[in-house]
Amino acid sequence: MRQTVLDVRDLEAGYEPGVPIVRGATITVDKGEIVVVLGPNGAGKSTLIKAIAGLVPITGGTVLLDGKDITAAPAHTMVRLGLAFVPQTENIFPLMSVEDNLKVACGILMPRETPARIEEMYGAFPDLARQRRTAAGNLSGGQRQMLAIARALIVHPKVLVLDEPSAGLSPKFVSMVFEMLAGIRKSGVTILLVEQNAKAALAIGDRAYVLVEGKDRHEGIASELWNDPVVAELYLGQRRLNPERDRHSGKGSAA
Amino acid sequence: MNLQFVVDGLLAGSMIGLGAIGVTLTYSILRFSNFAHGDFMAWGAYATLAVVGAIGAMFGKIAPMAPLSFGWPLIAAVIVGMAITGLLALLLDMMLFARLRAKGQAIIVVMASFGASMALRSLLEFIFSSRPTYFSRAIQIAMPVGFGIRVTPDQIALLLLTAVLVLGVHLLMTRTQTGRSMQALSQNAALARIVGIDVAKIVRVTWIIGGALACVAGVMIGILIQIRPFMGFDMLLPMFAAAILGGIGSVPGAVLGGLIIGMAEAGAVQLVGAEWRAAVSFIILMSVLFVRPIGLFGVRER
Amino acid sequence: MDLLGYGAFFLTTALIFSLVTLGLNLQWGLTGLFNVGLAGFVAIGAYTSALLTTPDDAARLGGFGLPILVGWLGAMLVGGIAAAITGIATLRLRSDYLAITTFGVAVVVQLVALNAQKLTGGPFGIGFIPRPFGGLAETPLLFNLSNLAVVSVVTLIVYLALEHLSRSPWGRVLKALREDERAAISLGKSARFYRVQAFAVGGAIMALAGALQAHFTGFIAPDNYLPALTFQVWVMLIVGGSGSNIGAVIGSILVWAIWAGSGALTSVLFSPEQQARAASLQIVAIGVMLCVILLVRPNGLFGDRPWRPRFGKRVRVATGESGTAS
Repeated sequence: MRQTVLDVRDLEAGYEPGVPIVRGATITVDKGEIVVVLGPNGAGKSTLIKAIAGLVPITGGTVLLDGKDITAAPAHTMVRLGLAFVPQTENIFPLMSVEDNLKVACGILMPRETPARIEEMYGAFPDLARQRRTAAGNLSGGQRQMLAIARALIVHPKVLVLDEPSAGLSPKFVSMVFEMLAGIRKSGVTILLVEQNAKAALAIGDRAYVLVEGKDRHEGIASELWNDPVVAELYLGQRRLNPERDRHSGKGSAA
Repeated sequence: MNLQFVVDGLLAGSMIGLGAIGVTLTYSILRFSNFAHGDFMAWGAYATLAVVGAIGAMFGKIAPMAPLSFGWPLIAAVIVGMAITGLLALLLDMMLFARLRAKGQAIIVVMASFGASMALRSLLEFIFSSRPTYFSRAIQIAMPVGFGIRVTPDQIALLLLTAVLVLGVHLLMTRTQTGRSMQALSQNAALARIVGIDVAKIVRVTWIIGGALACVAGVMIGILIQIRPFMGFDMLLPMFAAAILGGIGSVPGAVLGGLIIGMAEAGAVQLVGAEWRAAVSFIILMSVLFVRPIGLFGVRER
Repeated sequence: MDLLGYGAFFLTTALIFSLVTLGLNLQWGLTGLFNVGLAGFVAIGAYTSALLTTPDDAARLGGFGLPILVGWLGAMLVGGIAAAITGIATLRLRSDYLAITTFGVAVVVQLVALNAQKLTGGPFGIGFIPRPFGGLAETPLLFNLSNLAVVSVVTLIVYLALEHLSRSPWGRVLKALREDERAAISLGKSARFYRVQAFAVGGAIMALAGALQAHFTGFIAPDNYLPALTFQVWVMLIVGGSGSNIGAVIGSILVWAIWAGSGALTSVLFSPEQQARAASLQIVAIGVMLCVILLVRPNGLFGDRPWRPRFGKRVRVATGESGTAS
């Protein structure tokens, strides 16, 4: 039976009053699945996901997590409620060591279990274990992303929400990050992510939404969406018209 | 050359350093230079003085703990004074700074702190008048400790106290969840909230620590020199210079910066005369800004 | 008749304050540069002009006996240079550093005024500063009115020049830079040069005001340039509304009226022994007033700064500038 973890209904959100960027988006994420939100540049994907995480003011609609209304919950309570968010950039504390990054995240919720949880994360991400004393700002782009994800996972969230985890990474790291996400899902974590890199995201996703002008315009099984004519029209077609941008945003480069 | 300036410099540096910790924490976590910080020192000193007076009224005259010039009433009073000063800082934040911060213009907060500084200082002048006062009028005999240096028991006790406090703050910052949360908040405020840090709580802790340390620094000045409404205001430039020299946001940097400035001041007093003391901080400040604006332990702003 | 004389005296002082406020408005209101040491720049102007114009004095350096006008120009030059150096040191950094440095400038100027006896006369200051129309001192009313006329003309010239400047392309660049500090820093040298210019011109105007004041009273001492002066001028600008030159002038007159009025009131209400204390209460009241205006009406009477609250940041971000908007 399907069990809905995250239920977003008719969400309206934006930075300025009277200027909504997200205009009535409805998405659901079921337990154990990876849901991908796609959309052209400026569609409001990032704003949608930040609004869910409590970082952008919500002006309409509701967000339910495990049936509980979290629409008005302040950002810093989201982790406690079970929603862990990984921002696209600046997603680590650069001057703190890898270990302190993990400690500060875990210590807020479960100070007693922190050492065990950190070891658990080191087991899952051996690269981080090797660099535990390194200042996070000195890690490579891929390792930073790894640390950011480990930092979110360490509190065992009900749902992991990621904003373009592949942005700014070199192709090698992009595939590494997506493999990592697929592995995380296998361990039972529910994932919602926003992506520019549609092909890679659809490859690991179960379902996907296409967001256009702040609304969800299309929903479908991830593996089918890539060939869906409506999607091609809405999103992929538009990108084909603009090969230059495609090259930049699709592949990206190492930061 | 007389080595006495080493002790004088260490003492001046301790006072500056304790104040600079508060300045550097406020700057790195709340992102503004608090011009009212010096007045927290003065308020701390006067609050402690008032509590000492109250204890004296309740228990009568209490003999000092030889060889120190003060007894347990002062120690108890400092603890109360630290709490009062911390609360004062908290209150000022609630009434003024937090509201202006919410408007998103950092420099307006600086201006407000300037206005608050003026008001706080003048209020002290109004209540206690501008005449200097003292914790104790007893003269302490300085003991020779070799190399031509003389130290009073009070001075030794206060240097030890500073060392303990600095170590305590350092451990708090690096070994506790609260300290790590403060670091996190200063490095990336948005991510700190995402990670689950209650920003309002950390801001409160920051004010209380800054206020409490300012109180101790103020009491040190009161014990070693005198208490007057302008005592904190006169420390403002050395404190800012120390915080910038050490690298904004760094607690060890603030203390080291304070010691360097304290030493330089003491040296300058010996070489060119006490009246030019205040210029030392300015010269150091300008040199740091021209040569290495991020300071000794600083990091480039994002 | 006496009232008229006092009125002229009052207005002269208020207009000299207006000049300082106009200088501050160029720095803060137009360019967004924060100066908490303006008393230092006023003092630099006063002392420079005094040194240049007083008759020779064996006890200290100079007394060059030059014409008053030369003193004023010298004051502007030295004040402008001091401000330019301050600006060059700090304008590539965050605005807080400028605030701290200007604060330091005021401390050091105060220190020099007090201790460099050979240059400044020390705590007793400099006397016998020539006054324009000094010959009229026998008839106080005429003397006061002529002083008022001189100060009015200077204020008017500065006012018109600043109005012209703020509408010029130069002024528009400054306004644009004011809106975005990060851009101003990252735009590099050319942007910084604009801001240094504005800061220097503002400093020169403050120095000119200091010089006018010196020649108007004929006597200066370090006590005239305490932090309280900086504070008064800030309140004047904020009350008038930063960004508006007319606001700067009217704010100065208004706040000076309140200040002088409450001063007169305390001297009536309190016994002489209590007056020093009452004076400190006056500063408390003004300090609270500054904070209240900042909280309640940050635009003052005539301000033009667009204090648009940034919605996302206002609601959710408790600290700093590293907001979430992107």
